[in-house]
Order: sequence, then structure tokens, then C-alpha cells
Amino acid sequence: MDIEIFPHRILGADTTEKLLNDIESLDEVKRTVLQGPRLPPQDDIDRRYGDRRIITVNGEEVELKVKTGRIWIELYEDVGIEKIRSICDEHIKNGFDINTSKSQYIRKQRTVTDDIKYGSGTELPEEFIGISDTRSQFKDNVDILRRDQGE
Amino acid sequence: MAQFYPGTSQVAQNRRNFTNPEYELEVLREISDEDVVKLLGHRAPGEEYKSVHPPLDEMDEPDDIIRELVEPIDGAKAGDRVRYIQFVDSMYFAPAQPYLRARSYLNRYRGVDTGTLSGRQIIEARERDVERISKELLENEYFDPARTGIRGSGVHGHSLRLDENGLMFDMLRRQVFNKETGKVEMVKDQIGHELDEPVVLGEPLDEETLRAKTTIYRIDGEAYKDDADAVEVLNKIFVTRSNYGYNPEL
Repeated sequence: MDIEIFPHRILGADTTEKLLNDIESLDEVKRTVLQGPRLPPQDDIDRRYGDRRIITVNGEEVELKVKTGRIWIELYEDVGIEKIRSICDEHIKNGFDINTSKSQYIRKQRTVTDDIKYGSGTELPEEFIGISDTRSQFKDNVDILRRDQGE
Repeated sequence: MAQFYPGTSQVAQNRRNFTNPEYELEVLREISDEDVVKLLGHRAPGEEYKSVHPPLDEMDEPDDIIRELVEPIDGAKAGDRVRYIQFVDSMYFAPAQPYLRARSYLNRYRGVDTGTLSGRQIIEARERDVERISKELLENEYFDPARTGIRGSGVHGHSLRLDENGLMFDMLRRQVFNKETGKVEMVKDQIGHELDEPVVLGEPLDEETLRAKTTIYRIDGEAYKDDADAVEVLNKIFVTRSNYGYNPEL
């Protein structure tokens, strides 16, 4: 099943890093999508004041491309929700909602756009469907953490 | 006694404070005249005011009783151009909001024109008066460096979620949070031209102060429906307007 974490404020890199490390270390979590507004362009202002940095999740370096507005998580089991709630309580200071009302937050079926992008004949592994923005390059948006590769 | 706003809640009291020209608003920060000129972006600091007509004293004006009665404001006397400052107030407990700004500006300042939109509020006046008014608005309770934006263009953001550090979204990144000093700095002028040196606007007010100073009714703050007095007056206005068009004779 899918859940959505909706923080009441857009999260910065530090909180996102802590949150993702704890969430990714749970066995119940299958995959995670960060959704939110894109980070501003890399210029002098961004270098001086910006929040852009490379975060480390489970030992893997992940470059943040967006500000964390929502986190969609696919779970193997429902019991993960309470664990995620306690992780969020710990790291998100300004309040959050955990939404479970939709049956899925991450798309599970291949679409026509996928066919056009990757070719209708190519096989796209199931776990890669729906995790990248359909209007951008797959490699720009998806980081594969080594821990999940054997599963 | 003038009646400015009904209600018994703190929000109603704050609205009365802003709207009452007799009430002296608390000065929370200091911004120099030069910095105000820089962030307005209408002229370079130290530059002469450009004018659109000769000073009124030198002009041959027709005899008119109104001209004698009304003392012109300084900018009009000198013949300055009309210039503006525009603010955006976040829905998340910003100290002021557009309609209140309009009411209070018109009660507090002479010779201004003000325009209200859902998310932004512009005030226009002669250049030197705009500078004087801007300085007041930036230094006192009207302004919070994080929840209020000085935005001549690219105003989007008043209803968006705040950043984790409390700043309102700004697509042009004019007001930015300096993590080292904990202060908000303005790195561009109000329409987005980069400044040579950032203008320090000071520390954002903390959440408690903002909630105490806000003029916005919110369900997670003070809800409008809980302010029975304000709702009653609104209801009365609505009914008399709908039924009789405000005409007591009908």
C-alpha cells in the first residue's frame, strides 16, 4: 500500500536527510518518492543562501533536486505506518499529516508516455514505474540505493 | 468615537490598532533611508528626485478654494513622480493582510492611492512620500521579514506552504534567510534587480509573537466564527444590505 507524508512546511535538506535515513532503514518500506517544487537555479544567491546539498541516505549519496513538499512511500506491510509516524514525530517540528485515503500515491501501471519514452518493447522493471516525473529524464530524478538492489 | 472594527478577539483588536490613526504602532526594527531607497529600486541612493512638473510654488495655478483648503504633500509640492511599494502577506499569520492594509493606509496617510488584490497590496504616492511611508511600513508592526514580501512583480506565494525556516515562497528569491546570522536579507530590489550589497531586514518574528500580532482569522489560530461580536455585525450589514439596500425608510 501507499502512504503520503504531508509536512505542514516545506522541508529543508537536513530534515529530509534525517527523515529519509530513518524511513529507508525500515524493512516495510519498498520505495520512496520525494515530490515538491524544484530547487532554484544554481547561482551566487543559491551558493550563499541556498539549501542545495548532497545528502547521504543509508551510505549512498543522493543529490536533492526538489524541496521536500510531499513524501510518497510504498509499503510492503501496513504496520510500517505507525513506525513512520513516530519517525515523523521525531524529525518534523512544524506538524505533518499522514494520508492514506488514496489507494495509491505512486503510479503502478505503464502508461503511453512510458512507452514513448522507453520504447514499447523495452522491459521496465516494475519498481521503476511511476517514480520519475513523466516530463523529465529518468536518470535525473531517480537514485537507486544499493540496499534495495538484492531484494 | 470612530468605530473601526467590531469583535472581541485579539485579531479584532489588532485590526482596530492598525486602522486607528491615533494608535502608535510599535517600531520593531531599523532600516536606514538609503536601504529603503535601494530596495524600492526607483532611483539610486543620493540621486535627485525626477519630476513631472515644476514645483507648485512656481506654477501659475488657477484660483480654486480646494487648492487653498488642502495642503499638498511634500512630493506634490516638489512635483515628484508617482512611485509605489507593493507588499505580499502570507496567509500563515502575517501581521497585516491586503484589505486591512487598504483601510489602514487610507486612515493613516494623505495623498496616496492604494490597490488591493487577493494576495498583494500596492500603495502609490509621490516618490519622496513613498519613501517616507515605506520606511514606516518596513520598520513597524506592518512588516515581518519572513511572512511579508516586498514584491513589485513576481508576487506569487502568499498561500503556499512556508519553508522550514518560516520564509514565504518567493520565485525571485529577493528575501533570503542567512543561516549564519539568523537574519533575513534582501538581495534584490522589489522587482528583482540584484543589489550590490544585501539589505539586512532583521530577524523574523517568532511564531508566538506573530500569532499575537496577526490580523488574520484562521481556524488554527483564532477562528472568525468564534468572534461572536464580529459575526453579528457582519450579519447585520449583510441583512440590511440584502433586504433594504441600507435604506432605513423602507
